Amino acid sequence: MNASILTDTTKCIGCNECGIACKKSNHLTPDSPREWDLDDGLSARNWTSIVEGPEHVFARKQCRHCLSPACVSACPVGALSKTEAGAVVYDNTKCMGCRYCMMACAYGIPRYDWGEAVPYVRKCNLCYDRIRTGRQPACTEACPTQATVFGDRGTLLAEAHRRISEDSGRYTNKVWGEFELGGTSVLYISNVDLSFLSSEKPAGDVPLPEETALAMHAVPVVFTGVLAAMAGLNWIIQRRMKIRSEGSDE
Amino acid sequence: MSRVHRLKFILWVVAGLAAAVAAARFTYGLGATTHLSDATPWGIWIGFDVMGGVALAAGGFIMTAAVYIFRLERFHDVVRPAVLTAFLGYAAVAVGLLFDLGLPWNIWHMMVFWNPHSPLFEVGWCVMLYLAVLSLEFFPVPAEEFSALAKVRRALLKFRLPLVILGIGLSTLHQSSLGSLFLIMPYRLHPLWYSPILPLLFLISAIALGMMMVTFESHFTAYLYHRKGETEALASLGGAARWVLLPYLAIRFGDLAVRGKLGVLAAYDWRVGMFWLEIGTMAVVPLILFSIPRTRGTRGGQWAAAGVGIFGIVLNRIDVGGLIHVGSRSELYLPSWTEVVISSGVVSAAALAFLFMMERFRVWERRPVDPDADPLKLPEFDKVGTTWLGVPAVAGRTVYSLAFIFAASIGFALLTPQPAAGRGIAPQPVHRARGGDILWIDGNLDGYGVAFPHARMEKRLGGDASCVKCHHMDLPRDKNSACSECHRDMYLTVDAFRHDWHASPAGGRLACVQCHEQGQPRSALSAKRCEGCHKDLVPAAAAIPIKQYHAVGYVQAMHELCIACHRQLAQQENKPDFARCTTCHKDRRNRVDAGNPAPRDEIGRGILLPPIAK
Repeated sequence: MNASILTDTTKCIGCNECGIACKKSNHLTPDSPREWDLDDGLSARNWTSIVEGPEHVFARKQCRHCLSPACVSACPVGALSKTEAGAVVYDNTKCMGCRYCMMACAYGIPRYDWGEAVPYVRKCNLCYDRIRTGRQPACTEACPTQATVFGDRGTLLAEAHRRISEDSGRYTNKVWGEFELGGTSVLYISNVDLSFLSSEKPAGDVPLPEETALAMHAVPVVFTGVLAAMAGLNWIIQRRMKIRSEGSDE
Repeated sequence: MSRVHRLKFILWVVAGLAAAVAAARFTYGLGATTHLSDATPWGIWIGFDVMGGVALAAGGFIMTAAVYIFRLERFHDVVRPAVLTAFLGYAAVAVGLLFDLGLPWNIWHMMVFWNPHSPLFEVGWCVMLYLAVLSLEFFPVPAEEFSALAKVRRALLKFRLPLVILGIGLSTLHQSSLGSLFLIMPYRLHPLWYSPILPLLFLISAIALGMMMVTFESHFTAYLYHRKGETEALASLGGAARWVLLPYLAIRFGDLAVRGKLGVLAAYDWRVGMFWLEIGTMAVVPLILFSIPRTRGTRGGQWAAAGVGIFGIVLNRIDVGGLIHVGSRSELYLPSWTEVVISSGVVSAAALAFLFMMERFRVWERRPVDPDADPLKLPEFDKVGTTWLGVPAVAGRTVYSLAFIFAASIGFALLTPQPAAGRGIAPQPVHRARGGDILWIDGNLDGYGVAFPHARMEKRLGGDASCVKCHHMDLPRDKNSACSECHRDMYLTVDAFRHDWHASPAGGRLACVQCHEQGQPRSALSAKRCEGCHKDLVPAAAAIPIKQYHAVGYVQAMHELCIACHRQLAQQENKPDFARCTTCHKDRRNRVDAGNPAPRDEIGRGILLPPIAK
């Protein structure tokens, strides 16, 4: 199963029960707005928040659990990984705190314990401990209006398209997360454009790790190439110098 | 004081300041000592210390390539200082990185946990290996001084050529990979900088920077030690730099044209100005100065060209490293003074190590003498106290260590208020609740508050006698003071007592002994309690005890007051909804527009209020 969440913003009433359930389930301490917070409500202590968009639309902001995640590809020590269940999870015992994942995420999701002397990267982990044991994440369980639901990605995609085709007046004909940046496990349907959910504006369907793949694949070629070229040049130059000195000797 | 003496004095002062800041950085964390945030996770420590530092150290592989591969003997005299600069530069990068990493004690994880997809992984490995190569390349120089190391030295010299070739390969890789780091952020980097050929651009500009850094460093040390510069060799180096800068310009603009981003240059944006500043200083000005024979051949011209070029390329690294990122947050990241001090401190330490090596070992064929170490010079006196400081060598060390300690103590003094602010909570004064029978409680006026049925609550809790259930403290000559009188900040705990006011002649006009007993230490513990004077401060039947005269944040006060009862009621009367957030904070769709205060006042008067659930 590819664990997935579908959020229907037309059903969301912005009550933030998902956020409170998330805090309880993940034992996140109370929070006050900090200088280093962004204004989207996410922080090291808030892994999901409600963002208000145009026309009083409420949408959950949380980790998208990309199918090919930029953060996982960026992490130099493999502290972030995409599990088979679909969740992108973080191993704080491997992390060294370089924050490249925060730079790489096009949705601006990972947050940092800036106030701590021993800081970790914090983000939604799709309640990995719960979904492993067959339960659903705390947020979808808490939602009073079924605006955000949990299930298999294929099933949820079909459900999303069913809702759009049945009530085309209610929705924009697009499932956010179906193809964007190679697709994400967290899907949205809405009546408005959901680009307000992230401060950067990802466009296109190319997964971000592919942007670096070419450069990374070139590494061994360039390395051996440079070594060979330098050794060769040195040999030629040395030989010419030798011939020249022999010539001048005669 | 000699030039070297003066420079070392300044470097020790900066290092002392940095030592104090370093202590704060590792005690209180990144939030307290930097302006980094969730919007800009990378700052000047990455942009300048790491990316700039690696590029600045490029002189090492350029000069070893010129001398040992291309056999350009005229550069022979600059190759040792260049390798030393590179070695200390990379060491400084590693130290700078330790400050930036959140968990620096885990830096060795890179060796054990591998993720070959990550450009940062590759950069990390290359830097580690190249640092090892550089130390092996430089080791023969200090080894000359110790006869016991002669064998090791000879063995190392046999491997010089393979080491040089390996160093060039590693440098090519990580100089370009620092550009690859940013390929994964196409939506974060400004279109004038983001390009699929960033690695190539980084490599070429690093080569140019290496050449200019060698020029700068050579002239600077010549100036310091009153030595004749290598002006002729450096002139030909400047000439060669033209053939790196010219292709760089062509490729950069060609790339913009191919990607169709030339139009962005017409946009009115400070980032476009930054682009022109960068292009002008990193390429155009050095190119012109290196092209005119009169400036290329003279010390002043070389110095100017190299200085401007170094500024430009380091600016380019800082730009890409975080300054010109778009879409993150409208406000600009500017480093805090503590970040700047750490950066300069790392550079100072590297420079001091460089000068030590210069004076101690044969980095130049003829080693410069430490101008302070001359035993025949007269002892020195402290200029201010006219104290005898000993022979010059000892006097120098005395002055440097005093400067270091003095600067560190100033640093600690400057930092004292920092950790307090490092909680990162901005002060937010509370606006008092408005209305009468129904109070609109919204302390920070964000429109997301609570319509509190004050009259109904009063009735339910027992009429006039119920006031003390919530109003647990009254200001002097007041009855039932509003919550916001003491809980004056939304999130921060504030001092409700106000010692300054009580002691000031314009305020309470109290002498110390009126509260603190004579002969006793003057502290909060020994002082008279407030009730000693203000007889009516705490109402007789107050339900909430006052343990200390610090008022917790408004949000916490409101929540603790209401939620405690609501939780109890939820259990007693089996109404689980009673303790839910949404019971008081109604549906956010009904919330009042924060920008338009009128409706809120009306709500306060109980006109627009949604019906309250029973």
